[in-house]
Amino acid sequence: MKINHINTPLFRTSGIVLMLLISLFSGCDKNENPATEPAKIKFHFTHYNQGEPQQFDTMKYVNAAGNQYLVNEIQYFISDVRLHFADGSGQLLDGWKDIHYVDTDLPETQVWSVFDDLKAGDVEKIVFTFGITAQKNNSLMFVNPPERDMFWPEVLGGGYHYLKLNGKWRTPEGQIYPFDFHLGIGQIYAGGVVHVDSITGFVQNHFDVELPASSFTINHGESIEAEIRMNVENWFQNPNTYNHNIWGGDIMQTQAAMQQGCENGRQDVFTFHKN
Amino acid sequence: MKLQKFFCSFSQTDYFQTKIVSATLIFAFSGLILLSCTKEQPAVETYQPTPYEIEIPYGFPTLLNIPDDNPMTVEGVELGRVLFYDGRLNGRTHPDSLMSCATCHRPENSFEIGQPRPYPFGVTGNPTHHAMLPLINLVWNMGTYGWNGSVPSIEADVLLVISSAAEFDSSPERVVNTISNIAGYPELFRKAFGTPEVTPDRIAKAIAQFIRTLISSNTRFDKYMRGEVQLTPEELRGFVLFTTEEGADCFHCHGGFGNPLFTTNLFYNNGKDSVFTDPYDRFSVTGNTMHRGAYKATTLRNIEFTGPYMHDGRFETLDEVIDFYSHHLINTPYIDPLMHHIANGGIQLTPIEKEELKAFIKTLRDEEFLANPDFGAPEKLPGQ
Repeated sequence: MKINHINTPLFRTSGIVLMLLISLFSGCDKNENPATEPAKIKFHFTHYNQGEPQQFDTMKYVNAAGNQYLVNEIQYFISDVRLHFADGSGQLLDGWKDIHYVDTDLPETQVWSVFDDLKAGDVEKIVFTFGITAQKNNSLMFVNPPERDMFWPEVLGGGYHYLKLNGKWRTPEGQIYPFDFHLGIGQIYAGGVVHVDSITGFVQNHFDVELPASSFTINHGESIEAEIRMNVENWFQNPNTYNHNIWGGDIMQTQAAMQQGCENGRQDVFTFHKN
Repeated sequence: MKLQKFFCSFSQTDYFQTKIVSATLIFAFSGLILLSCTKEQPAVETYQPTPYEIEIPYGFPTLLNIPDDNPMTVEGVELGRVLFYDGRLNGRTHPDSLMSCATCHRPENSFEIGQPRPYPFGVTGNPTHHAMLPLINLVWNMGTYGWNGSVPSIEADVLLVISSAAEFDSSPERVVNTISNIAGYPELFRKAFGTPEVTPDRIAKAIAQFIRTLISSNTRFDKYMRGEVQLTPEELRGFVLFTTEEGADCFHCHGGFGNPLFTTNLFYNNGKDSVFTDPYDRFSVTGNTMHRGAYKATTLRNIEFTGPYMHDGRFETLDEVIDFYSHHLINTPYIDPLMHHIANGGIQLTPIEKEELKAFIKTLRDEEFLANPDFGAPEKLPGQ
């Protein structure tokens, strides 16, 4: 009698054992070939003031308006980070998680390891949205801290703050008062009466930032470390000289102040750095 | 039938040879896998408790602070509830010496002691450092319990309470000895944890499980958020004050529509004092001088039942609190930047606006929470 070995218990059992052993050890057998490996990028979000790393809670800074001030904390969203390639194509990074929260009190928010593989080629520039576009800025989309605590009140337009830059400044009289430089959806008030009953419309203040000098080449298998730097003093200058003595401690209901901040923000608040 | 067919397909010798080799391979492989898992288990009859599911209310955080080593179970929660209300939990049995969690954490006061004692005191009469905080929605506190955030978990807090001179003034050993000798408790522990041993760790875990069930999510404001009710015009005006910078600007620290916990669980110096001498402020935990005089922004849910207010209970009524924020803020280098109204000494509400703000705050009353029978005392305690 001819035995069909393929159907024997010995063969079948040995096969199962072999497959289990292979599956156990297969994770250790990695074939790394840079020519075929995808490129990756990791962004570091840093915060500078007058060319040096931002120091917090120290009244050592003077803005363009001559206000002496300190910074206590900075929290913000950027979204829809796109690579624009020289060949005219583009790549939205991690489109499934397109809103990124950065908090100077939380180091884990200051690094973003992009999950998506990068296409090899020449990047002409990096563009992102500061804040969140109207289409995506939906209330209650973040229910967990810390993003949750950025919510922007419904009566003022809803969604989330784009930015909280909290600090204090010294008045001409020598008093030190808090300022909350908060950007988000602005309101238009009929007759200039700042009360929610007078709101006739809302202003989407989010803006696109084209990072200056953000061209670079992506090679196969490359792991890129890049820095997106916030130059904090520039929120208060170029083109508008922002004066805390004029705008006071809170601006969420003062569109003119938020507009100044946003116009400054799209200029040179953010810069790109890569070794 | 299938087996018979298999036997017939080749000779018995072949079959047994194959069988021996197969068995050897399986044995060897199993041994490889189970090498580290071959500890002898005691032949004790264990109980498998039933998992307890927390339903996330509308708009609430989906991240729950449930430690991996203390998963919630129906039996664990029930044991926790019994312990929470048992006056013998301090290790004493004399009727004059009983003290439980519920002695001070009373359900009718949102699990706070309520008026008139600003500082609760323990079984031996020593006062606590601070006024009380309510036990409400703590499953969403990510690990900064207490006014200064020094307590990392509810479990740790239970153990602190047992030993604190201002609370149970006892010891874990004494509590374990008392509880384990009460008929009925070992069986409750067996159901909650699989075996009947009473340990300090298990006591803390069971009570923590119960406290994590104390969820308030059915205030009038919750119903308003869900579109089930409309607020009155006065309440809505109060809500606008609550949630705008040009109004009272409560929302940055106390939440609102986007944060229905009505607390960020963060710490702020809110301008109460000019001199800071309390050795138990947030600064005592972080060492950051900017945290001098900073304390947790408490939840405003059921706040009308949890006076006196502030960490030292200095204000007896909500009117006093609103009046403080309106006119009596004190500027110091440590005041939180979110207190931008300090330039005017406060939010400067008119008498009508104060009433409107208070009317809104009262929409955060959760009567269902206060009277929930699942949170109340058990009908009977073990051994009674």
